[in-house]
Amino acid sequence: MKAKYIKDWENELNICIRCAYCFEGCPVFKELGWEIDGARGKLIVAYGLLTGELEPSEYIAEKLFQCTFCRDCVERCSADISVPDIMGAVRADLFEAGYSSDSHKELLKKIEKSGNIFGKEIKPPVFEGDKAVLLGCRLVERKEDSEKYLIILEKLGVKTKTFNESCCGMPFAVLGDKKGFSNQQDKFRETLPDKNEEFICACTTCVFFIRAKYPDLKAKYIIDEIVERLPDYKGKLKKLNIKVTYHDPCNVARGMGMVDEPRDILKRICSELVEMPTYGKQAECCGGGGGLLVSDDKLAEKLAENRVVQAIETGAEVLTTLCPTCEFNLKNAVEKLGGKIEVKNLLDLLYESMM
Amino acid sequence: MGLVGVQRLKEIVGAENVKDNKADLYVYGSDSSVHQAMPWVVVRPHTIEEVQNVMRYANPRLIPVIARGAGSGMSGQAVPIKGGIIMDLKKMNKILEINLEDTFVRVEPGVVDDDLNRALKPHNVFYPPAPASSRIATIGGEIANNASGVRSVKYGAVRDSVLGMKVVMANGDLIHLGAKTRVEATGYQIDRLMVGSEGTLGIIVEATLKFVPIPKFRCLGIAKFNELEEAGNAISEIMSSGIILSMLELMDNIAIKAVNQALDLGLPDVEAILMFEADGMAKEGVDIEVKRMMEICKKHKGFGLELSYDAKERTRIFSGRKKLFPSLSRYKEGYVCTSLADDMAVPYSKMADMAKKIHEIAKRNNVIMTAYGHCGSGCMHTKILMDPIKKTQWEDAKRAVFEIYNFVRSVGGTTSAEHGIGISKAPAFKREKHESLELMRALKKALDPNNILNPGKLMDAPDDWVTATKLRYTVKLEGK
Repeated sequence: MKAKYIKDWENELNICIRCAYCFEGCPVFKELGWEIDGARGKLIVAYGLLTGELEPSEYIAEKLFQCTFCRDCVERCSADISVPDIMGAVRADLFEAGYSSDSHKELLKKIEKSGNIFGKEIKPPVFEGDKAVLLGCRLVERKEDSEKYLIILEKLGVKTKTFNESCCGMPFAVLGDKKGFSNQQDKFRETLPDKNEEFICACTTCVFFIRAKYPDLKAKYIIDEIVERLPDYKGKLKKLNIKVTYHDPCNVARGMGMVDEPRDILKRICSELVEMPTYGKQAECCGGGGGLLVSDDKLAEKLAENRVVQAIETGAEVLTTLCPTCEFNLKNAVEKLGGKIEVKNLLDLLYESMM
Repeated sequence: MGLVGVQRLKEIVGAENVKDNKADLYVYGSDSSVHQAMPWVVVRPHTIEEVQNVMRYANPRLIPVIARGAGSGMSGQAVPIKGGIIMDLKKMNKILEINLEDTFVRVEPGVVDDDLNRALKPHNVFYPPAPASSRIATIGGEIANNASGVRSVKYGAVRDSVLGMKVVMANGDLIHLGAKTRVEATGYQIDRLMVGSEGTLGIIVEATLKFVPIPKFRCLGIAKFNELEEAGNAISEIMSSGIILSMLELMDNIAIKAVNQALDLGLPDVEAILMFEADGMAKEGVDIEVKRMMEICKKHKGFGLELSYDAKERTRIFSGRKKLFPSLSRYKEGYVCTSLADDMAVPYSKMADMAKKIHEIAKRNNVIMTAYGHCGSGCMHTKILMDPIKKTQWEDAKRAVFEIYNFVRSVGGTTSAEHGIGISKAPAFKREKHESLELMRALKKALDPNNILNPGKLMDAPDDWVTATKLRYTVKLEGK
C-alpha cells in the first residue's frame, strides 16, 4: 500500500506520546475493549502502515473504519493530536488500495447519482426570502420537520431562502474517497446561491465540516442565529411541561465548542433539564458519525443504545439533540429498547414552544 | 506461538478473548515509552481461574507472560521484550467490596483509578495516590509500578494505600498477601515486595486498598521567582519546617515558556513557578499551612503570590501545570517529547541544583530538557525533547540520560520516583542498585524459576536501553 496521505502525518504520529488518555471516553473502545479499538491503537496501526511494518488487510480496514470521528480523543489528548484528520488520511490510503466495503461504495454512488445520501430526488420546502439556508441531506428528506425549522427562523425575523442542495461531501472525506470528495465539492459549491454571502446551516455535521473544508465559505450555524435573535423575539414562548435531557452532538460540543447555548434554550422552554453522566465536551458519542452507520451499523446501534440507557436513567421523558444523524441513530436505539424515552430534535421543541 | 497454543488459550479464556492478528500484536507491543517489541498473542482473562490456567499453560512451556493494564507505562514495563503472551487485565474491572466500616475497598486489577474514586466519592472518601494518568491507569498497573502523583507528599505512593492482594504465581498458584487491617507484622511483607515488581514476580489479580476522607477544604497557592535557586531554597524550607502540605509543584522557565508558547496562558516569563497546596477538614488548619508556605516563598523573594479555595480559581491557577505535557509536545517543530530519565527523586535541598544540572546537561548534549515536578515528594520530572528520526539525537539522549543519573546518584537521589524502571531506566537502576542485583535475581528465581513473568526487565534488562528493543520511531542515518 502506498502511504500517500498518511505520510503527511508522520510527524504527528511521532508526537503522539501513546499515553492512552484517549481510552477514557472512546465509545468504540468502551464497547469492544481491545487496544486496537481506541485512538492510540488506531494511530499505532496507521504508523505501522506508514512504515510498512504492517500490510493493509480487511481486518485493519475494519478496525480503522470503526471510528465515529467524535473527537473525544482529541479533547483528552496529551499531545493535541488531531486523530480524525489522521484517520481521514489513513482511510484515504486504504480506499485507494481497494479496502472499501460494499456499503461504503453504495453510499458514495448514491451521493454521486443524486447529490444526497438517499440516492433519490429530494427537495426542500420552498422558501423564497433572501437568506440562504442549507438544510443538509437528512433534513431535506424530512420535509415537514425542516419546514418547521425554517418557520422558527421566519418567526425570529429571518427571510429564509431554500435551494436545491447537493451534499457537502462529508461522507466522501470520512470514507477516504479523495477524488470523489473533490468532485462533490465542486457540485456543492455550484448549488450554493451565492458563494460570497453568509448562509445559515441547519445541519450540525454540515456546518462543522464546511467550516473545516471550505474556509472561504461563510456558514452560520442555525443555533447561533437563533441565540442571537431569541432575546428580541416578540412572540410568546410556551413552557413545555417535560423533563428533558440533552445529548451533545460531537460536532457541536467538541467540534464547535457549543455547550451552554442549547441548554439555555432548553431551560427557557422546558420545565426541567437533567444531565446524563457524561455531557458537554465529555459527552459520550451516540455512534452515528465517521461513517460508522454504513461501516458497522450494528456497532453504531450498540453505541446509541449505550447512550439511550444513560438518558433513560436520568428519568427524562424526552432525549433531545441537535444533530439529525444523532437523532436518527438514537431513535433506532430507543425503538430497539422498547420506546422508554422519546427522541426529539431541540428545534422541534422550540417550534412547539413557539406555536 | 503455534496454532495449538493459541487454540489452548482460546479454550481457557474463550475465543473472543484471544487476539493473534499481526495488527493487534503490533499495537500491544507498544506503551508510552520509546520501546516496541512484538508479543506472540494477547489474551484477555475475566476471572482469577482463567489467569491461573494461562499461567499453568505457559509455565512448563517457558512462554513469557506480560501482565498489562492500560499500557501507559513510560519505561517499557509492558513491552514484551522477549515476546510471549500479553495478558490484558482491563476486563477484570469489578469493584468487589466497599467496606466503609473497616475503611477498605477490594478491587480487581483492571479497575481504573478514576472509576474507583467515582464509586468512593458518594461516601466522602477517596483512594489518594492520584497519578496524572488516573483517568486510564488501572489499579493493577499502579501497584505493579508503585505509582504516585501530585499529592504523594501528603498521601504517599500506591504502596502506602495497599493493604493486601491476591497474586497468581508463575506456576498458577493463587496466594493471599497482606491483610485487611491498617497494620500487619506477620512475617515477611511479601505484598510490599509485589508493589513495584513490574509484573516480574506474579500477576496481581485482586487488591485490598485503604481509603481516606475527602478533605473539606483545599487551598492552592502560586508564587513566582526570578531565580531557580530562590525557588529551590523555598522548597527546602517548606519541606523542613513541619508544614502539613498536600502539594508542592515546580515549573522551570522552559516549562513556563512551553505552556505560554502553546497555549498563550500568559504565565509570567520568570525562572520558576511554585504551586503549593494544603487541605484538611478545618479551614483554620488549612489557612495556617498555606499562609506559612506563602511567607516562606516571600522570604525567598517569591512574588505574584495568589491563594484560592475556590475550585474554579484553583483550576485556573493549576491550568498551566496541567497543560504542560501537551505544550512540551509542541515546543519545537520536528521534536517529540520522550520519557527518558523522567522521574528521578532527589533530596529536597538538591532540587534547585538538580533543575540547573538538567539544563546544563541538556545544553551540552544538544537536546532540550525541562524541569518540573512534585517537589513535595522530592520527585523531579524532565522530558527530553529531541528529533527522534536522527540517529545522533539518540546518542545525545543516551549521554544526557547517563549524565543525569550520575548526578542523581552523586546527591543521594534515586532513579525513579513513580514511573518505574522497565527497560529504559534499567541501566541507571542497575548502577544504583548494584549491590542488591544478585539478591533480586535470587528472589526472582525463587518465585519464577522458569523466568516467564515479564522477563528482561529491571535487573535483567539489557545494559543499553537504546538498542534493547526496536525504537518506536523510524530512526534514519544522518543526511538520508
